[in-house]
Amino acid sequence: MKIHTKSLAALSFGVALGLLASASADAKDSGFKLMMTPKWTGFPYFEAAGKGGKAAADELGDTFVYAGADHADVSLQVETLENFIAQKPDGILLAAIDLNAVAPVLTKARKSGIVVTTFDADAATQARDIFVNQMSYEQAAKTMLDCALLDAPDGGEIAFVAASPTSPNHMAHIRIMTELTKTNPKYEKFKVVDTQFAGDDDAKSYDVAVNLMQAHPNLKVIISSSAVSAPAAARAIVATGKAGKVFATGFALPSAIKSYLDDGSEKAFALWNPWELGYVATYATHLILAGKLKVKPGETFTAGKAGTYTVGKDGEIVYGKPMIFTKDTVDKAGF
Amino acid sequence: MSARAIWRPTAWEAMLVVLIFAAAAWSATLSPYYLQIDQLLYSTRNFVIPGLLAFGLMVVVTTGEIDISVASTLAVASVALSKFAAVGAPIAVAALLAVALAATLGALNGFFVARLGLPSLAVTLGTMGAYRGLAFIIGGGMGYTSFNDPYLYVGTELWFGVVPASLILFAVVAAGVGFLMHKTTFGRRCFAVGMNKTAAWISGVNVDRLKITAYALAGVLAGVAGLVWIGQYGSARGDNADGMILFVVTAVVLGGVDINGGRGTVLGVVLALLLLGTLRNGMGLANIAGPTQTVVFGALLLIGVLRPFVAGLAQRWRTPPSDPFSRRDDTEQTSESNSITNNITRRSAL
Repeated sequence: MKIHTKSLAALSFGVALGLLASASADAKDSGFKLMMTPKWTGFPYFEAAGKGGKAAADELGDTFVYAGADHADVSLQVETLENFIAQKPDGILLAAIDLNAVAPVLTKARKSGIVVTTFDADAATQARDIFVNQMSYEQAAKTMLDCALLDAPDGGEIAFVAASPTSPNHMAHIRIMTELTKTNPKYEKFKVVDTQFAGDDDAKSYDVAVNLMQAHPNLKVIISSSAVSAPAAARAIVATGKAGKVFATGFALPSAIKSYLDDGSEKAFALWNPWELGYVATYATHLILAGKLKVKPGETFTAGKAGTYTVGKDGEIVYGKPMIFTKDTVDKAGF
Repeated sequence: MSARAIWRPTAWEAMLVVLIFAAAAWSATLSPYYLQIDQLLYSTRNFVIPGLLAFGLMVVVTTGEIDISVASTLAVASVALSKFAAVGAPIAVAALLAVALAATLGALNGFFVARLGLPSLAVTLGTMGAYRGLAFIIGGGMGYTSFNDPYLYVGTELWFGVVPASLILFAVVAAGVGFLMHKTTFGRRCFAVGMNKTAAWISGVNVDRLKITAYALAGVLAGVAGLVWIGQYGSARGDNADGMILFVVTAVVLGGVDINGGRGTVLGVVLALLLLGTLRNGMGLANIAGPTQTVVFGALLLIGVLRPFVAGLAQRWRTPPSDPFSRRDDTEQTSESNSITNNITRRSAL
């Protein structure tokens, strides 16, 4: 009997809480459970994206979880996603390591009604709802080549370092940059000589950069979309005494390349604001869940204080705010 | 229950069972989503692939050798499978060819180790790189994903809606390897060679052929693991299972297999996999940070390595203080003077 009274009390308490909650906000408009997994945890870039996501969730009254393995391993990422699904979230956000290998588990998530958002690196189109792209591939390619122009105004031989042949954004950047060097007069002074893969691994990127410089004595610029490989290449250039002859550029965290910009061994790197990228991705996921954003080309939405965005083809939303860091601007980056 | 009379768990196996239940209880307190039958069964998929590799490694390790190339062999098998799939080969044919290729790679390891007498760590460190390179060459730059349903069956099918087909495969392979190692002449010879190679040779065991067979078997199981990989992830790439070897070695060592050969049980490896799987599942569901998880698994590997020492302590607690050493000698000391038959018929105390 005592138990009954207790559970009754608990029940009425719960009901009271529920009433309170529904009084304070529309039940369908907040309180979503959002879970984010990056390519791997512990890397400042993804930690910033996680913090941005958390900030958006806090603003919107959602709960937010950020978790994942500490190295980029697709079987571990799939395991993380399976663990997410078991926790019955409303939305999942991820930066995919291998666009195809995550597709089965994401499809399973979508079948159970979970909204799936990719950011930073996309999954197979049919396996997710939206992809919040940091920049259009074209814009990213141009930004990196603009940085290369700051390094080597007279052009010359360039080589690429990507994570792997199956990392979608890196490969698309390389394809477009190669095209631009053949078709765009501004970039025609560059000649692509090599593409290597370093798996987003610091030591491997360093080795690859050293090998590239040995294999191509006239190499001018090493370009990488990987925020791990670009700084590692800069380090390899300084270590092998090639500073001033060869340059590294591409996407990198300001904190990772500040010393090279300051001592003049490198001239320019680029990135976007990962905090805001995570913020926008989380905001968009929330709006879809709340029924305020339809995933149709041309639909627009305002992501809190981060501005207004438009849904493009195949549910792609382009964040699109490149930042170029030079000696003078790197301190103002703020992340 | 005649099986029960035969089956006598070693102290280490008993300890692993206790640890599994402790880990499960801990997981249940960590996450309210842990104790759900479909979740639990589905999560077993995550250790099937490293588990298959671990069984192969276990056979090699009992002979006193090591094979760290098995994850690379898996990658060769998976990309080979993608080539067969691309030309429209039926799964049965493709699987057979891929497994045969993996077996050949395994046997090649065995040849280098047994016939040429090279140290197995050096040989398989070399072939780990060489086979990985081979996988990238066969696989080409782009991954392959256009597998049809029969290829994906073993990794995606759920029997009765909840039991992963890969778990059934895992159980069948575990039983098969268990039978092979503990009930057949081949198994007894593996332990004998691992315990004392010379004595085994004198008593008529063809040590070279045995080792080559053990390596080939590890290759076969890596090939089977490649089939499961394709089924589960549907993505064949040169980097498949790169970095998985640490988990595999942890499972074997934590399972009580003596890294110097001669001792170990398949059941121990199964239990170690269950323990590692339970912890990974529980910590994953609790969204525990990746680095923390890595520390936990590193600690478990350490426990596995320190096992003889830990078990020695446990043994001392259990025996009366008046007579601590004679009992310990009895179970711990690997005496060269022990006859082989004595060593191999007796189950390891740990």
